[in-house]
Amino acid sequence: MTTSLIVFAVCAALAIVSAIGVVASRNPVYSALFLLGNLLTMAVMFAALNAHFLAVAQIIVYAGAIMVLFLFVIMLLNVKTEERASPLLVVIGGLAAVSFGAALLKSYAAIAHVALPAGAVTGSNNGTVKALGLDLFTNYVFPFEVASLLIIAAIVGAVMLSQKLRPHGPDKTLAAQVVKPQEQGVK
Amino acid sequence: MPLPTQDIPIEMLYVGLSAILFSIGAFGFILRRSSILAFMCVELMLNAANLALVGFSQRAQNLDGQIAVFFVMVVAAAEAAVGLAIIISVFRATRSIETSESALLRW
Amino acid sequence: MIELVVLLIKLFLVFNVIMGLASICTWIERKGSALIQDRIGANRAGAEIPVPQFSAVGLPIWGFIAKPAVAVINLTLRLAFIPLKVLGVLGVINTLVCDAVKAITKEDFVPEGTNKIVHALAPFMAVFPVFLAFAVIPLAPDFTVFDYKIRPVVAEVDAGVLFFLAMGSIAVYGVVFAGWCGNNKFALLGGLRATAQMISYELAMGLSIVAAVVTYGTFDLYEIVEKQNPVWGVFTQPLTALILFIVGMAETKRGPFDLPESESELVAGYFTEYSGMKFLVFWLGEFAEIGLFALIISIMFFGGWHFPGLDSIFEKGTWMAALLGHAILMGKVIFFSVLQIVLRWTLPRFRFDQLMNLGWKILLPISMVNLVIYSTLKLSGF
Repeated sequence: MTTSLIVFAVCAALAIVSAIGVVASRNPVYSALFLLGNLLTMAVMFAALNAHFLAVAQIIVYAGAIMVLFLFVIMLLNVKTEERASPLLVVIGGLAAVSFGAALLKSYAAIAHVALPAGAVTGSNNGTVKALGLDLFTNYVFPFEVASLLIIAAIVGAVMLSQKLRPHGPDKTLAAQVVKPQEQGVK
Repeated sequence: MPLPTQDIPIEMLYVGLSAILFSIGAFGFILRRSSILAFMCVELMLNAANLALVGFSQRAQNLDGQIAVFFVMVVAAAEAAVGLAIIISVFRATRSIETSESALLRW
Repeated sequence: MIELVVLLIKLFLVFNVIMGLASICTWIERKGSALIQDRIGANRAGAEIPVPQFSAVGLPIWGFIAKPAVAVINLTLRLAFIPLKVLGVLGVINTLVCDAVKAITKEDFVPEGTNKIVHALAPFMAVFPVFLAFAVIPLAPDFTVFDYKIRPVVAEVDAGVLFFLAMGSIAVYGVVFAGWCGNNKFALLGGLRATAQMISYELAMGLSIVAAVVTYGTFDLYEIVEKQNPVWGVFTQPLTALILFIVGMAETKRGPFDLPESESELVAGYFTEYSGMKFLVFWLGEFAEIGLFALIISIMFFGGWHFPGLDSIFEKGTWMAALLGHAILMGKVIFFSVLQIVLRWTLPRFRFDQLMNLGWKILLPISMVNLVIYSTLKLSGF
């Protein structure tokens, strides 16, 4: 048992347990906590697969920002525990998921021993920031800029969607809130 | 399935794990009726796809998979922001986050 | 095998450094705030301990042996108790011993109607990123002992600065959970405010760290210190250092940014419902974070273990040079911790909209412009 196999076994166990926890827990806060554990396990797996920048980016972006957003929404909307789904749905969903997973696994097993094609680009797969940055800013500059446009669109969309509709502007100006008219003062 | 000692390379083991996680996420998505929990299962599926991409990138010794993961993360972040804003708007309108409540346009 | 032993020794030493920094910062906060507010502060505990005196009454010893022996023993006891009394007058025993004992023995209650698991999880999530971030920070220069080269970092990661940013992102969770599971409005408000503040200032922190990394050309914290050998980083990029210092104070919710704690407004902010050991854990995490930010600023901008005159006293690579470097670094850390504490007790706190204004409308554009300036300078061969 080499070290990488032990690391894989531990990470796989943690990932599967936390994924089942996300799906099966009644309390939405527990689901969010299990998803957080899953994301952190993913980061460890990325680091084990030589993708160092992606591991840290996973923690910064997913675990540090997206999950905080999820937790905010769950806590603010006070999401309650939901009732059990109907058994029919469980059976059908289980069958669908299991069959899809089996199909995927079968196709992966078929290509597991395929040798790399002759003309494969074998750059160094050191997933450090430097290598990734070089590749990103030379070959993939255009998707990078489009991604920044996408983020701007998402920001504008989120701000617009979460504004309350005020058809007639703010209710009172600051002066009107603070200054009492003289008729209401002490006589 | 032969025992994964020296037959299957370890990156394919990670890819197999990603298939299992994807199917668990799909199961959860079908099952859940609250939109936030369904969204969390979508994030689970996206992460499983990321894991598969990184596994294949390591197998092929190519950095293209990791760049694809980078963009998937960007898109997932943007989608999470907008999706949660939509959920909050729906909550304000209907005071509920069950997915069956937003069935106004169904026949 | 020997690497495992070295790693365990490093872990033990770094853990001691963290706890020592947190304790010293707590003591400086208590006594320093007292001096700033023109009062004496804690000086009773341990200062008036009755010194046990020995008396030979009833012992079957001859008088002419007993009297001088008893006098010598009593004098020794009195001399031995003097350091304890000095520490007591300085307030050290009060802060480090009495507060700890009080916090450990207090009743630990969980408010009704909240989630017990999340209530217990929140202090842990608030503290563990801070402790983890100390793992990638070098505490002394390299040294060679018995032909074995040791680098005083617990985890030699290439992207040390990125890891520190990631830990800053995770530190938000402790606040989110603590604010939510207090089950009352004060805690929730404090938690929401703290989370919004931390997330907003993370942007400026990321951008200013990227500007610093662009100038140094590496993510590794050890290399960053080595690049500051003649000229410290603060002289080549003063604006970045200033922005990082301000953002650091906002991230630790200290100083003029302590609206989440708000001792005079929100009872105790997001940790209203915590008592006893859990409160102590939050407090410990906060003071360890003060030490962490002081360490990051000294390493990234203030030369780390380099000091213009003292570098060539010992030969590079020996353990004496490493010890001197560590002492210089800790001196800078103490300076910045004291600076943060003095700033906290001097400046009034920001209102929440002023805080958000500062984070989004002032610091974020300035750090973006800063990044563009330093990228241009780097590209033009500075």
